[in-house]
Amino acid sequence: MFAFLLTDIFFYIIIFSLGYYVYYVRNTKDILETWKHVFKSNTGIISIVVLAFFLLIAILDSIHFKEKIKNEKNDLISYSSEIKSVLDLILLPTYQNTEKSYSSPFSSNLYSKETRILENNIEQRVYPKLLYKGNHNKYSEKNSYNIFLTFIFSLLKYILIFSIFYFFLFYKTVFKGISNLFHHLNSNKTFFITISVILLISIFLYDLSLQYYVLGTDKVGVDVLYKSIKSIRTGILIGTLTTIVMLPFAIFLGIFAGYIGGLVDDVIQYVYTTLNSIPSVLLIASAILMLQVYMANNPMNFENIYERADLRLFFLCMILGLTSWTGLCRLLRGESMKLREVDYVQASKTFGLSRISIIIRHIIPNIMHIVIITIVLDFSALVLAEAVLSYVNIGVDPTTYSWGNMINAARLEMSKEPIVWWSLFSAFTFMFILVLFANLFSDVVREAFDPRSTKNYD
Amino acid sequence: MTELLKINNLCLSISSDNESEILKNINFSLKESEILSLIGESGSGKSLTALSIIRLLENNCRVTSGDIIFNKKNLLSLEERSMRIIRRNDISMIFQEPMRSLNPVMSIADQLEESYKNENKKDIKNKIVENLISVGINDAERVMSLFPHQLSGGMKQRIMIAMAIACKPKLLIADEPTTSLDVTIQKQVLDLLLKLKDDLNMSILFITHDLAVASQISDRIVVMKSGEIVEDNYSMDFFKNPKSSYSKTLLESSSYTKRNASRENKENQNVLEVNNLKVYFKEKKPFLSKEQPYKKAVDDVSISIESGVTHAIVGESGSGKTTVAKSIMGLTSITEGNIKILNQDILKMKNNYRSNFRRNYQMIFQDPFSSLNPRMRVGSIIKEGLSFLKPELNNDEVNSSIINAIKSVGLNENSIYKYPHQFSGGQRQRIAIARVLVLDPKLLICDEPTSSLDVTVQKQVLDLLIDIQNRRHISYLFISHDINLVSSIADKISVMYQGKIVESGKTSDIIENTSNDYTKKLLSSVPQII
Repeated sequence: MFAFLLTDIFFYIIIFSLGYYVYYVRNTKDILETWKHVFKSNTGIISIVVLAFFLLIAILDSIHFKEKIKNEKNDLISYSSEIKSVLDLILLPTYQNTEKSYSSPFSSNLYSKETRILENNIEQRVYPKLLYKGNHNKYSEKNSYNIFLTFIFSLLKYILIFSIFYFFLFYKTVFKGISNLFHHLNSNKTFFITISVILLISIFLYDLSLQYYVLGTDKVGVDVLYKSIKSIRTGILIGTLTTIVMLPFAIFLGIFAGYIGGLVDDVIQYVYTTLNSIPSVLLIASAILMLQVYMANNPMNFENIYERADLRLFFLCMILGLTSWTGLCRLLRGESMKLREVDYVQASKTFGLSRISIIIRHIIPNIMHIVIITIVLDFSALVLAEAVLSYVNIGVDPTTYSWGNMINAARLEMSKEPIVWWSLFSAFTFMFILVLFANLFSDVVREAFDPRSTKNYD
Repeated sequence: MTELLKINNLCLSISSDNESEILKNINFSLKESEILSLIGESGSGKSLTALSIIRLLENNCRVTSGDIIFNKKNLLSLEERSMRIIRRNDISMIFQEPMRSLNPVMSIADQLEESYKNENKKDIKNKIVENLISVGINDAERVMSLFPHQLSGGMKQRIMIAMAIACKPKLLIADEPTTSLDVTIQKQVLDLLLKLKDDLNMSILFITHDLAVASQISDRIVVMKSGEIVEDNYSMDFFKNPKSSYSKTLLESSSYTKRNASRENKENQNVLEVNNLKVYFKEKKPFLSKEQPYKKAVDDVSISIESGVTHAIVGESGSGKTTVAKSIMGLTSITEGNIKILNQDILKMKNNYRSNFRRNYQMIFQDPFSSLNPRMRVGSIIKEGLSFLKPELNNDEVNSSIINAIKSVGLNENSIYKYPHQFSGGQRQRIAIARVLVLDPKLLICDEPTSSLDVTVQKQVLDLLIDIQNRRHISYLFISHDINLVSSIADKISVMYQGKIVESGKTSDIIENTSNDYTKKLLSSVPQII
């Protein structure tokens, strides 16, 4: 049975609006031209493919369901209280069993020694062997050789999968002769190389995960790679959901302040200057504390821990959104003030258009480039903000998988000797990849949409 | 006279997606103490030629071949160090926009000081004063302590010239130095340049699009068209019998043939009547003062226009002529007075009725690049007015009138599916005209409809407007700063100065025998092709 968490619903809305935007752009010639600039640059293609891959994982992780449980005694069907996602289903082999505690990447033993009593009652301090992975090499007993063979098999799988996909998507070019095929591959070189690299890495990691803990295990023996992948959804959700919360405030208040001016402008300016002068961490902390009190007093409102954690995530997005609309609002206010005096707005006034029609027909289409640039730029900042907030314990629920929580947990182990580095390393790597490509993407988008850039039409 | 500057086969290209040659084989030379005018429409490459002489081209421009000999040195092969010395001592440049060429946070004295290096402070101050006096600023001591925003446009341009001539250059490059100035100030600046040329014995490379200005000042004329020189001639010969056909079109476009005023004795219904219009803007109240100061943008203006007549308002920038237009269109609030269109007072109309009544009077804006929404197709731009002002039309009628309108301004039918940026300036202005024509107005307010266009295009747009008037019997309120242009198309002229109409009457009366001092000054400042 499908289960819908609060954030899932909003995430679907975001995906649908993204889809609608793509549809809208395809039908609007001048915006399509601008986006083509993004697709023309190599950085643009690479970052779009990488981000799309992250987004795909987040989508798979947002389709939740409860498993059926058949009662053996009376044949009644009931549903498990555990909520799983499609991603969990795919990654099932990698996380279903947990070890006892820390183990380092590719290791076959636990990270700390335990006392074992031998047959002749002699106590011995040993590194216990891992129960589920690390000792089950498929191809060869020697680790490096085994990894190499796994890679070869992954490569074969990748070639198979890639050709099947290519054949289904572009079967027309396949039948037009080999030179045509090469031409097609070559003219979309960057795209195919990026896809190939991502696909190969994913297959390889998956194959490895069946035999090893590629990024080790955490304190309670959970695969760190699995945790990092599950955190993608949290990161992307915070980046996008917050934007959705913030946009209406920023757009409408910004336009009203700039276009109508006068008293409206004064009031809106007053609101956002006041909001800006409150430290946002303080605001977020108090809001999260209030929520915690509410959840403690009304435990009956939540069916399970997933809903509690989800509500906290949702609430965090809300409060982040409420504190972050002021920057964009200020930008849009300035832009609308400028547009108010532009001749085509004046011309529509002479046609007797109402304020609302002028705003919808002339102002909004001409400020959208600023909105898009800001969304893309803010995204990476918000992903990082989550990590910082979780670090100071006012972020997402401790049971939610998130990079911030991983870093927070790893912090305590940094002083251990020998050091437990892999939790921090994986959270850092994943976050770094996402934020780096989001930033590269925003750079390309900004360049394409910035009217001052030379690439654009005048 | 010896040759000061010689340009041989200069070619220049811009590196972009498709490497395109912007300048092709430019050849000309400039003698000592000679003024050479480089004439061309926008995009003809005249500014690029100038910038390549002083080597201030943008990074994506590249000189592909040719050389520039200045004072027996090839400027293109010099290294940047020695080029800098040449820029400091021998070649100076003044730019079009005096407001943008001065640093707003530095006082005039500080900016001028930069031109004098390696001299002691006292000398510098004396030299600055001397210099300012030589460009016609008599209260130099006071001006020196001011900041750019405290000066008028003409003053700023004088400061720019003072900076340029501080080093007593051999060559002064003037890139449209008077384009953004009013005619009266333009005349002063031109006179100043002529005087300085004689005083300092320098050569001037004068870049302009205005043939009349060029004829006033120059010894030689070089005409450029899309990166090539089409004519190189002495000024006298050029204006008498130009060699190339392009120069002929240019000359024809800039001299307007006087129109026969045969359409005067028709029905005398007043289309527009403006009575005692006053528009005051509140200014910032001084500290502790009780009185609210006002800026009187329009002060007691009355105009009446009969049907089918062109009435022009002429004035310099800041004279309030655009404010009159805006207050008729309801774009600014009016302090006092009334405005009647077709004998109905539009200020007393009910809102609903007025928004429907607006179809009778419409406006064409100055800049066709900002008056069309870049995100809308031409079709929906034209449709906008129709759907709000003539909601009674059904879809077919709307579509057919859009196509009629676009055809009547001489554009292709399938332009309605395109976006404004796919059109040139002149075509855009045609679209703007189509947008208002589709409403079939009785009165059109044209706010400098041609002043941002090239001369040849200007002529076409004016012809179109006159043609439309003849066909549809529309009245025009034509607002312009160019009395020369106005005298050829208007039936009546009102001259505005500082918010007031100083003189009003038939065009012929005003042009030929005006009694007003300001009009006289205006008329005498207008450059004429000799």
